[in-house]
Amino acid sequence: MTSQPSVELAPQQITLEGISPRILAGLRIVGAAALVIGCALGVAWPDGIPLFFRAYLTSFCYVLGMVLGSLLLVLLLHVSRAGWGVVVRRLAEVLAGHVPLMVILFLPIVLPLLWGSSSLYEWADRHAVEHDELLRHKAPYLNPVFFTIRAAGYFLVWWLVARFFLETSAEQDSTGDPRLTNRMERASGPAILLLGLTVTFASFDWLMSLDARWTSTIYGVYYYSGAFVGAVALWILLAMGLQASGRLKEVITVEHYHDLGKLLFAAVVFWAYIAFSQYLLIWYANIPEETTWYRDRQTGAWLYVSLALVVGHLVLPFFGLLSREAKRNKAILGFWAAWLLVFHWIDVSWLAMPGLKREGSPWGPIDLCLTVSLVCFYLASVLRRAVERPLVPLRDPRLAESLAFENF
Amino acid sequence: MSSVAFPAFDNTSDDPTVRAPLTTPGQNFQTITETVCRVVERPRPPLGWYIAFAIAVAWTGVFFLLVVYLVSTGIGVWGNNVPVAWAFDIVNFVFWIGIGHAGTLISAILFLFRQKWRTSINRAAEAMTIFAVICAGLFPALHVGRVWVEYWLFPYPNQMGMWPNFRSPLVWDVVAVSTYGTVSLLFWYLGMIPDLATLRDRATGTVRKLLYGLFALGWRGSARQWHRYERAYLLLAALSTPLVLSVHSVVSTDFAVAQLPGWHVTLFPPYFVAGAIFSGFAMVVTLMVPARAFFGLKDLITIRHLENMNKFILATGCMVGYAYALEVFASWYSGNQYEWFAMVNRAVGPYAWCYWTMVFCNVVVPQLFWFKSWRTSPWRMVLVAVLVNVGMWMERFVIIVVSLSRDFLPSSWEIYKPTWVDLGMLAGSFGLFFTLFLLFCRYLPMVAMAEVKAVLPAAHGSGHRH
Amino acid sequence: MIEPSTSSTNGLEEPATVIAGLVAEFRTPDALKAAATKVRDAGYRLWDAHSPFPIHGMERAMGIRPTILPWLVFCAGLTGAAAALLLQWWTNTIDYPFLVSGKPFFSLPANIPIIFELMVLLSAFAAFGGVLVLNLLPEYRHPAFSVKRFARVTSDGFFISIAASDPKFDLSATRALLESAGAVAVDVCYAPAEAPRLPGVLKWGLVVAALLALIPPLWIARQRQIPSDVPRLHIIQDMDFQPRYQAQGVGRFFADRRATRPPVPHSMAVGGRQLDAHFYQGQIDGQWATTFPIPVDRETMERGRERYNIYCAPCHGLAGEGDGMTHQRAVARREPGWVQPRSLHVSNVREQPVGRLFHTITHGLNTMSGYAAQIPVADRWAIVLYVRALQRSQNAVLDDVPTALRPALLQEPTKP
Repeated sequence: MTSQPSVELAPQQITLEGISPRILAGLRIVGAAALVIGCALGVAWPDGIPLFFRAYLTSFCYVLGMVLGSLLLVLLLHVSRAGWGVVVRRLAEVLAGHVPLMVILFLPIVLPLLWGSSSLYEWADRHAVEHDELLRHKAPYLNPVFFTIRAAGYFLVWWLVARFFLETSAEQDSTGDPRLTNRMERASGPAILLLGLTVTFASFDWLMSLDARWTSTIYGVYYYSGAFVGAVALWILLAMGLQASGRLKEVITVEHYHDLGKLLFAAVVFWAYIAFSQYLLIWYANIPEETTWYRDRQTGAWLYVSLALVVGHLVLPFFGLLSREAKRNKAILGFWAAWLLVFHWIDVSWLAMPGLKREGSPWGPIDLCLTVSLVCFYLASVLRRAVERPLVPLRDPRLAESLAFENF
Repeated sequence: MSSVAFPAFDNTSDDPTVRAPLTTPGQNFQTITETVCRVVERPRPPLGWYIAFAIAVAWTGVFFLLVVYLVSTGIGVWGNNVPVAWAFDIVNFVFWIGIGHAGTLISAILFLFRQKWRTSINRAAEAMTIFAVICAGLFPALHVGRVWVEYWLFPYPNQMGMWPNFRSPLVWDVVAVSTYGTVSLLFWYLGMIPDLATLRDRATGTVRKLLYGLFALGWRGSARQWHRYERAYLLLAALSTPLVLSVHSVVSTDFAVAQLPGWHVTLFPPYFVAGAIFSGFAMVVTLMVPARAFFGLKDLITIRHLENMNKFILATGCMVGYAYALEVFASWYSGNQYEWFAMVNRAVGPYAWCYWTMVFCNVVVPQLFWFKSWRTSPWRMVLVAVLVNVGMWMERFVIIVVSLSRDFLPSSWEIYKPTWVDLGMLAGSFGLFFTLFLLFCRYLPMVAMAEVKAVLPAAHGSGHRH
Repeated sequence: MIEPSTSSTNGLEEPATVIAGLVAEFRTPDALKAAATKVRDAGYRLWDAHSPFPIHGMERAMGIRPTILPWLVFCAGLTGAAAALLLQWWTNTIDYPFLVSGKPFFSLPANIPIIFELMVLLSAFAAFGGVLVLNLLPEYRHPAFSVKRFARVTSDGFFISIAASDPKFDLSATRALLESAGAVAVDVCYAPAEAPRLPGVLKWGLVVAALLALIPPLWIARQRQIPSDVPRLHIIQDMDFQPRYQAQGVGRFFADRRATRPPVPHSMAVGGRQLDAHFYQGQIDGQWATTFPIPVDRETMERGRERYNIYCAPCHGLAGEGDGMTHQRAVARREPGWVQPRSLHVSNVREQPVGRLFHTITHGLNTMSGYAAQIPVADRWAIVLYVRALQRSQNAVLDDVPTALRPALLQEPTKP
């Protein structure tokens, strides 16, 4: 082990204090304005209501993926007792702790459902269920009440997990008690288990049941692996953004970016592995009740979106991030992180939108407005939380190791 | 020796302020060389080795006698029938190839994740990989019946003007498993070159000098060579990581691309990989606990190494449990009556005891590893590991045989019963595996000395040894 | 193998050897790194550091430039992927296309696994082969091994070796440099004055053995190419010779030595009791029947037309002119020796009794084969009935038309 380097860091380096409140307010105003425009477009557009809900679901699942992906990052750092990632763990914590916001953002999905609307989910339409044997078979699971109860359960689990890890980490900032690290390590295993199960079923409920007749057991892994790509990319961009604003200058080094780049690369490859597994098995078995899902994604404009995903979510970032130099170059790494954030959005949209019959372009101004809106709300929430505490877990027992970390 | 000086040493502490040592205290470069080379250089192995070797060789003999009987008579001597055309042969194949995955995981994936504790166990685990792949490869090779035209599996220009059907998962399997075996062998050998040089430089007998010298290739620890060597090692690790995922994924496609209820599950590729690592780690624990005791390697393969492996067993066990749960849920949720029947048939059909053995061994038993006392007690962990291996063998049996025995058409249902040849070949494959492993323990360095030395505190840093 | 051939291990100079360089030992990895920096700064080029394990930071201390190995592996990986794609495309699409489970001949998703595996395989070969080639391994003998203490380099020794061929090498100055860098011992290492050679007998023996080893494959390759009257060698019998009797062959079991057994006397095949000669043979008292053994009605006629259009029309044509699709195709292709199917309207066919027509359908005639296997008996009679109707249609007279319809027929001589 290397000798203990100084853990004394200048306060302006490691806090967000001094950030203009106007940024926060601006984000909220833009978010609210975009939401209003999106709603207006949804009402005004011909057949705009189902479109609005789908687009809203896309944006919601996109932002939710950031929250849950970051939460998984925090847990993985704990469960593997990672030394390298301590300096960036707080950033992941900052990105993760927004379950209450997600609950509020979930209301536009669940309230109409309880109201009796079936604009989003076909299985909520009593008439359709009565006349469809398959939907009737699934009705004990797919019905508005049980759907809501399950969603409440998922949010409760996420909220408890996020709260525990964020609060414990914050507590360590003040007490410096190394036993808190032990406590988080012990909790991280069961937490990952809970998270895996809840995210799987949440993705089944919220996204997969859009095609209520279709099933794929790998779907949860697919959604979560994509969300992980998005979360890592956002993590990298947040670190870069903070450094660009003059913070964390001496804390996060090229060595940490190298590791983050490796993680991003691995996440992309893993996503591709899961995506290909699902595609290959369904393509090969060629069972009509399964292939319909891909047929929706291989007809019209969605064919080009599917191909774009192969190229933009795998081939280009794969070669772009392959070399050691690319991962150690902030400009290149930042470019690919931003690129993948965009393509992760396309991926979520590719999951949610295609069942909807729409002519021409797969996306329109509604999608844009709602995504901008939800992302702005999320970023505002992130900044508000980031102001509350240091950007580095100052008294983590492995901070010194992390600061001195070097790849070889 | 130093092993006697620190009998009560415990490095399983969870204190986050210090990194726990990877070896017992007092280890330096010299003692590591001594500890590892002693196993190979002692004139006679311990009595236990002879006994184990005799048993293993006897079963290997049984295996090859049965192979002769099988090839000369035909695969009718197995219990396979229609519709259960794949039975013990393919179950054993998937079981053994899964066992192999732990070696590559430890040597490649943990290397990429900078898990330094891997250095004490990777050599033995890689050896285990290669021996398991050998055992695995034998079964499908025998299963094709006419083994003398085995080469038809490979693409080569021939007078028949025919080529393999590359769109078939069975051909993917041939390519994936042979690639896996080859790359694992290269990786294992590359890692062993510096250690073979150590044995060469210490060898006294002419034969040993000649053989170790031959395989050490004239290695002399040059920094310029180390530089390229490390790069090659990293590259092989980076290649082996997706390779190991692909191999068991390809094995899973043997089943999952089909339409048979219980086989066509999109989660199969990652689920098979998790199961493979699960069973492989269980096998590593089963082998390493006795090996470190018999060969005096407790200073290098400490309880902490075993505890870490047990954590992997717990994690992958949970993944396998997740897959079981999703399979059941999806078979109901899909509304497909055949899928649902396949699940009901597993749980209450004629092979229900296999299913529940599998669930118990793979999901319930590993939960004991939440307790540190189970993770750190050698004999308890062996108990769990053996049960996990039983459970994982059962898992493949449940997937393959139970699904096949009752498919869409009730009139063609048939119960499968193994014959004595089936059982003998399963036991015989274990004999072959242990024979190879015991030979490895006797003649090759069981611990990667160069790698363990490189992670000693003295290797980087402030100069003073130990 | 390792020790030099002469006993120069104690450092004594032997007449057959020359000074190959200096080997200096250091205590620790840190000391080695520090010394390496000094040697590098002193401007040496043909020198090396040796250690039992790779030392972190050594590349920087020695000024080693990054290896090209990753690029080799990258290129090998691309080659493997491209080769796998080409192989699968060419074999399954061009050279030997065959349809399996409705998959396209060229199925990219199904080709991905093998593309991936071959990419990894070739990359691994490049990584493994590359590190050996770039490291100039295997090496038969290295001068440093002539120093006895150097054997500890694979256990716990740290060394620097400087070759005598380095332009800056000077025995005393270099030794002084190494000692000042903290070496605990500096030894001179020796190499044989001449490069070690394989004994001539061994060398030529290997060449001859290699040449001899080529003969069997060449012979096999030749034998596979040339035609031969001799049956091929059956090393593995497969199903080339099967334990069964050929039809009409000689058997050993029965006294009459016939492999094919005649039917047991008074036995009868299932469905063979065809007593109704009119129905089954189309004959009455040995004469061709002129009446139908089945009811002659509209239903039978429709059945006959349907069967005729299926079985007969391909050759005889829908109207029975002998101009069916097979005939038109044969004419279009100018098939040599093609005989036009008989028109059913020529007089000798028209005049045949129905029993005779039935017989022709059952057993065939000239190039026409019998249809007994395809068409059940009653259907054959239905076809005969329809053929009669066809013949009548082409040779009808006014009397055949019902009286009520005759005026209409006479009023319309032509159609526009």
